[in-house]
Amino acid sequence: MTYRKPLPQPNADTKPFWDGCKQHQLRFQKCRDCQYVRWPPSIICPRCHSQDTEWIVASGRGRVYTFAVYHQAFHESFREDLPYITAIIELEEGPHLLSNIVGCNPREVKCDMPVEVVWEDITEEFTLPKFRIATQPDVNS
Amino acid sequence: MSMNLKDKYAIVGIGYTEQGRVPNRTALSFYVEACANAIKDAGLKKEDIDGLICYRYFQPARGEREVTPYVTAQCLGLSPKYLSQEANCARSHLYHALGVLEAGLCSYVVIAYADNALSSQRLIDDIDPDKAVFGQIGYPAEYAMAAQRAMYTFRTGPETWKEIAVGQRKWANLNPKAYFHNRPLTYEDYYNSKWVVEPFRVPDCCLISDGGRAYVVTSVERARDLRRPPVVIMGIGQHNPSSYIDQSTWMAGPSGAKIAGEIAFKMAGITLDDIDACEIYDCFTYTVELTLQDYGFFRPGEGLDWFKDGTIAPGGRLPVNTSGGLLAEAYFMGMTPLTEAVMQLMGRCGDRQLGARTGTREPEIILCSDNGATFQTHCCTILRRF
Repeated sequence: MTYRKPLPQPNADTKPFWDGCKQHQLRFQKCRDCQYVRWPPSIICPRCHSQDTEWIVASGRGRVYTFAVYHQAFHESFREDLPYITAIIELEEGPHLLSNIVGCNPREVKCDMPVEVVWEDITEEFTLPKFRIATQPDVNS
Repeated sequence: MSMNLKDKYAIVGIGYTEQGRVPNRTALSFYVEACANAIKDAGLKKEDIDGLICYRYFQPARGEREVTPYVTAQCLGLSPKYLSQEANCARSHLYHALGVLEAGLCSYVVIAYADNALSSQRLIDDIDPDKAVFGQIGYPAEYAMAAQRAMYTFRTGPETWKEIAVGQRKWANLNPKAYFHNRPLTYEDYYNSKWVVEPFRVPDCCLISDGGRAYVVTSVERARDLRRPPVVIMGIGQHNPSSYIDQSTWMAGPSGAKIAGEIAFKMAGITLDDIDACEIYDCFTYTVELTLQDYGFFRPGEGLDWFKDGTIAPGGRLPVNTSGGLLAEAYFMGMTPLTEAVMQLMGRCGDRQLGARTGTREPEIILCSDNGATFQTHCCTILRRF
């Protein structure tokens, strides 16, 4: 079946992230000078303005910083998913990532709940990182 | 901005257009009409206008070109010495106007916002592809996420927000230009309304409107000779805690309102007790709560008690959004709150006029806010009667 939802549009900044997703790796830029892990990608560290950057692979574990439950579709292709959950995930490595929480009832989701990444291969070219309520015990709790 | 701007500049005229659902009109036509009406309202001639600032228009509707201040000026027969166009609306526009007035580059500046968003067909603008892939489209969810985090952090939620939605609707019911003029809202209606993006229901979200709004700014000295009693700018402050909303760790406050408010109050030399009413940018109910909280009207979580029993409604002790606001009058960005404050201080508000008519304090000083993106940019403006 044809995938009807919007597709990622990688640009020079975000391409390494989407390439990572394709390999089921959650990649973020890390500043080699101050160790700050950032998102969205940028040529410069917003903390210290260093351009000395490496890409790291994140664990895929984090917590729900906050979330919202869509009851109306703002794009026709999401109507079939209603109600669906978008969330900001606070990853163990620091950055916040916007994604979906899948595989649960919206009533189960709470702020600060531990979650882990699940990969959704949507086309030959693209994979989306989504999250589910953690099945592994949260190492930080 | 230096403190010597206090009491130097004033708003002297407001331009309205037909508003609400107004089909078969271009955005440009609303811009032109609002500007012409503002110039006339101030008692000025078009030849007097030497500055024009327009909002940077969204994606144009099908068959329309992007509205620019050049085109607007041309349609108005103006040849200003200063034209500007940008996205931060009432937040930055008034700053720019005060800057060119203070520098002596202009004498009378018109600021305008207009749109035909309700009746025209256009794509949703400002789609961030990195978010759209997850179905995160439009502002309601971004503010809903902030509100959700606030519900987790302090005592707030629909119980608080219903007071804002119902209170503002009562003002709209007194305003014949308001979209919801003839439609009251009860607490029961609020709870029975559909979810948009949970935790927001329909009455938590602002309107989409056709129409336009404009106003004229000049020096208090020049304002003395004009048609209307000028409304004096006592204080203004802006703060932009810029960060992508998804990286924000301050969704539950403090937003830019805190520092913007401190700057404005310091310039004005007044305190919260001097404020007779507030016109708060209200894209969503929670925005009103967080803004008033960050200004210091109540502490985090005390909003529920503060709003209870009609505090902000007609007859209340601190009226808020007396036109109905963006939730219930019309959506003209920061222009809706700012122009309403001016109309109230000029005493031109009919059935909704603050004072004896609505069982509220006679308005001497009104606090206005504008907020943008998702709590990433904020402007506080304090206005007083001349």
